[in-house]
Amino acid sequence: MLDSVTKRFGKHTAVDRLSLRIPTGSIYGFLGPNGAGKTTTIRMVMSIFYPDEGRITVLGRPNSESIKDRLGFLPEEKGLYKKMRAAEIVAYFGTLKGLDRATAKRRAYDLLERFGLGDWVDKRCEVLSKGMGQKVQLLGSIIHDPELVILDEPFSGLDPVNMELMRDTILDIKRQGRTVIFSTHVMQQAQDICDYIVLINKGQKVLDGRVADIRATGDFGIQIDYDGDSEVLRSLPGVRRLNDSGKHAEIFLERGVDPQDILRALVGKLRIQRFDIREPSLHEIFVRTVGGKTDE
Amino acid sequence: MSKTLLVARREYVENLRTKTFWIGILLFPVIIGAFVLVSRLLARSKDQRAYAVLDYSQGAWLSDEISKRSLNRDVGQFLQARGKPSDRPKTPAEFRSALEKAKDQLGNPKVGAIFDVFLAMPDDDVQQLIDAGADGKPPMGVMLKHLPKLSGAMQQFDAKEMGKVFADLSMGKYRRVELASLGLDPAADHEATEAKLRDKVNSGDLFAYFVISEDQAVEEAGTGLPKLAGRYVSTNVTDADLRRWYAGLAAEVVRERRVGALKLSKEQARALQDDFSFRPRTVTSTGAEEDVSAEKLAGDWAPMVFVYLLWIAVFSISQMLLTNTVEEKSNRIIEVLLSSVSPHQLMTGKILGIAATGLTMIGSWVVFALLGVQLIDLEVRWSSVVSNPLYLASFVGYFLAGYMIYAAVLVAIGSVCNSLKEAQNLMQPVILVLMVPVIAMVFVVQDPNGTVSRILTYIPIYTPFLMMNRAGGPPPMWEYVATTILILLTITVAIWSAGRIFRVGVLMTGKPPKLREILGWLIRPPRDSTTGSNARS
Repeated sequence: MLDSVTKRFGKHTAVDRLSLRIPTGSIYGFLGPNGAGKTTTIRMVMSIFYPDEGRITVLGRPNSESIKDRLGFLPEEKGLYKKMRAAEIVAYFGTLKGLDRATAKRRAYDLLERFGLGDWVDKRCEVLSKGMGQKVQLLGSIIHDPELVILDEPFSGLDPVNMELMRDTILDIKRQGRTVIFSTHVMQQAQDICDYIVLINKGQKVLDGRVADIRATGDFGIQIDYDGDSEVLRSLPGVRRLNDSGKHAEIFLERGVDPQDILRALVGKLRIQRFDIREPSLHEIFVRTVGGKTDE
Repeated sequence: MSKTLLVARREYVENLRTKTFWIGILLFPVIIGAFVLVSRLLARSKDQRAYAVLDYSQGAWLSDEISKRSLNRDVGQFLQARGKPSDRPKTPAEFRSALEKAKDQLGNPKVGAIFDVFLAMPDDDVQQLIDAGADGKPPMGVMLKHLPKLSGAMQQFDAKEMGKVFADLSMGKYRRVELASLGLDPAADHEATEAKLRDKVNSGDLFAYFVISEDQAVEEAGTGLPKLAGRYVSTNVTDADLRRWYAGLAAEVVRERRVGALKLSKEQARALQDDFSFRPRTVTSTGAEEDVSAEKLAGDWAPMVFVYLLWIAVFSISQMLLTNTVEEKSNRIIEVLLSSVSPHQLMTGKILGIAATGLTMIGSWVVFALLGVQLIDLEVRWSSVVSNPLYLASFVGYFLAGYMIYAAVLVAIGSVCNSLKEAQNLMQPVILVLMVPVIAMVFVVQDPNGTVSRILTYIPIYTPFLMMNRAGGPPPMWEYVATTILILLTITVAIWSAGRIFRVGVLMTGKPPKLREILGWLIRPPRDSTTGSNARS
C-alpha cells in the first residue's frame, strides 16, 4: 500500500523510502522507537500529510479525500471539545464520516453504553477522566464501522481494564474482516495481538512481515519467571544475552550450552516459577535490530 | 449535509452555549437600558439646588420679576409637555378636557391642584393661554392674574417632591429660599447678612446665593437707569447651571426695562432683541434646497453609534474564531477533524458557523433596538434613525463584510498558535490596526465625504467601518459600488491567503513561525508542515 514513500520536514527526513503492504483483515503493528517516523507515516496514510515522494494507495485507491469516510483514526495525542457532551462528540465524529445524524446519535449512545460510559453520555467532556476521554475518542473513531482503523499509540495511558477493553475492540474489528493498523513502542502489546508488524527506525524500514515468521529465527531463548536476587542470572556461565525485567528474564545461550545446565545452576539460588524454551520475543528482536542506536 | 456545513453547524450550536455569546446578546439591551435608566435617574435625582437672593434693588424688583418669570415659564412648559403640537387643544373646551385627562393620568392629587387652577380659569384667559401656547410662553398678564392661586397650589409640595414631580422644570431643579425663613432680615447690616449666608453655603444648607445691587447714584450709560451689578457666591463654581439659568432670566428682565426706559414701542423692542442667525439648509440629491430635518440632524451622528456597535460585533465575533481555532489546535482535536475533513472544509465551516453566531447576535440587537423604540418613548427623531432601513441594512451587510476580513486574519493567526497566550501576542498589532476606525469615527462623521474619510474608505481593512461611518452623508452611489467590489475582492484574497496559512499552520507544533515565513507560505506554500518548526514524526 505504501510505495517508496519519503517525507521531509526541512532538512530532516522523517520517512525515508518506506514501502509497505498491509493485508486486509489483519492487525498490523507499526513498531519503532520514539521519533522513528510512525506518526508521520500514519498521518500520510490518513492524508493529513502528503508524501514528498512515492505513492500511497489506501483501500485500493490512490490516496484522496474520497476514502476518508472509510477510515477511522485515533491520533496519539488525545483531545476532545471540553464543552461538548460525550454522546454529542461521538455522534459528531460519526456525522463527519458521513453517517446521518439520527444514526450517529443512536450508535453513539449504544457504543457509550457498551463501553461502560452509560452514566456519562450527557456529561461534558471536561469532567471525564483521562481514560474515559480516551475511550470516548476511540468510539468516535470507530462509530462509522470503518474498513481500516488506524490507532496511534492506543494503549498509552490506559489502565489494565481499559487496556483489555482496547485489545478486545481491536480483535473485534479484525473478526469482522476489517483492518487495524496501530503503532506502539511497547513490544509486548505488538507480540500479543499483531498478525504483522513493521519495524521502523529513523524513517527506514528495518524489518517487516508476519510476527510468527519474524520470531522464527531458529534462535531459541530461555524464558524464566523467578523470584530472588537477579545477580545470580548475571553470574551464569555461557550466557550470550540477558533481558532481565526483575521477575522475568529472557536468556540466550552461547552455542553448545545446554539449557538444562542453566536450570541446574539456578535451582536453589532462585525460586523458579516457569522455565521454558521458545523463539525470541519481539522485544529481543527489536533490541537486536535497533541496538543501542535509539534514543529510547 | 456537506462536511463544511456539519462543521459550521457544530460551531454554531457550541457557540450558542458559551457565556460569551449570551453576554454579547444581553449586554447590548442591558447597557442601552442602563444608560437610559441611569441618565433619567440622574436627571431626576440631582439635588434640588437651594439658593437665596440678597436683592438690594429698589423694592427688590429684579428678583421678584425673575421669580414670576421663572414660574410663568415653568407653567408654559408644563402645559406644553402634555401632548404633541399637532393634537394640542384649540378651543377652551378641548383644553379643559385635555387637562382633565392629563389630571386623571397623573393621579397625583397635589399636581391635580395645579390643574384645577387652570380648569377654573375663565374662557377668555384660557383662549389667551392657547393662543400663546404655540411658542411655549404663556401670556404674563393671565399668569399674573392667577399667580396667587398657582403659588398656593404649588406650596403643597415640599422641596423633595417638587424635585421629583417637576424634574424637567426649573422649579424642580432650583428652589429659592426666602431670607425670612433663614431668620435673616435683608434690611439689616449687609455685611452681617452676607456672612450668615456664607455660613449657610458652607454648611450646605444653601447651594449658592445671589447678590443684586443697584447703585442709584450711578446712571447706566444710554438709558439713564440706575446701574445694576450682581454676584454669585457658591462653594461649587464648576456647576454653572443655576448661575446661567438665573442670569438668563435676569438679562431678559433687565433688557426689557431698558427698552421701557428708552420709550420704544413693543415692536421696536422686539426688533432690538431679535437675534440674527443662519438657517441650516441642505442640498438634496436632485439639487433642490431643503430644510434640515430633526431626523437628519440626529441621523448625522447616528452612524457613530452604529460604527461602534459594528466594531464591537466584528471584533468579539472574530475573536471567537481565534479562540476556537486555538482550542482545537491545543487540544489536538484538529488531527481527528483532519482525518475526516479537508483543511479547507474545516476552515470554511468554522468561518460560516461563527458568522451565523454573529448574525444571530446582531440580529438580536436589531430586534432589541426595534422593540426598545416601541417600549421606551424615545424622541421621534431617534426612533426613526434606529429603524432607518439604510442603517440597518448597512449594519448587517458591513458586519458580514468586516467579519469575513477579520475572520480570515484571526483564523490564520489561530492556526499558527499553540496557546491563547501566543495568539494574544500576535493579536496586539491587529488590535492596534483595528483601532483606527474607532479613533477616526468622530472626525469622519463630521465630514463624511471629505478627503481623509475617502482615503480611509479605500483601505480595504477599514472599508466596512468607514462606509458605515459615512452612511449619514450618504456617499454617492458609485462609491457604494466601488467599495462593494473592493470588499468582495478583499474577502476573496483574505480567505484565500488564510486558507494557505491554515493548511500549513494548523498541524504545526512548536514555536509559532515568523511573519516572514508565514508570508513565504502565501507565495510558495510548503506542502505540509514546515522548516524550522519541530514537526513531530
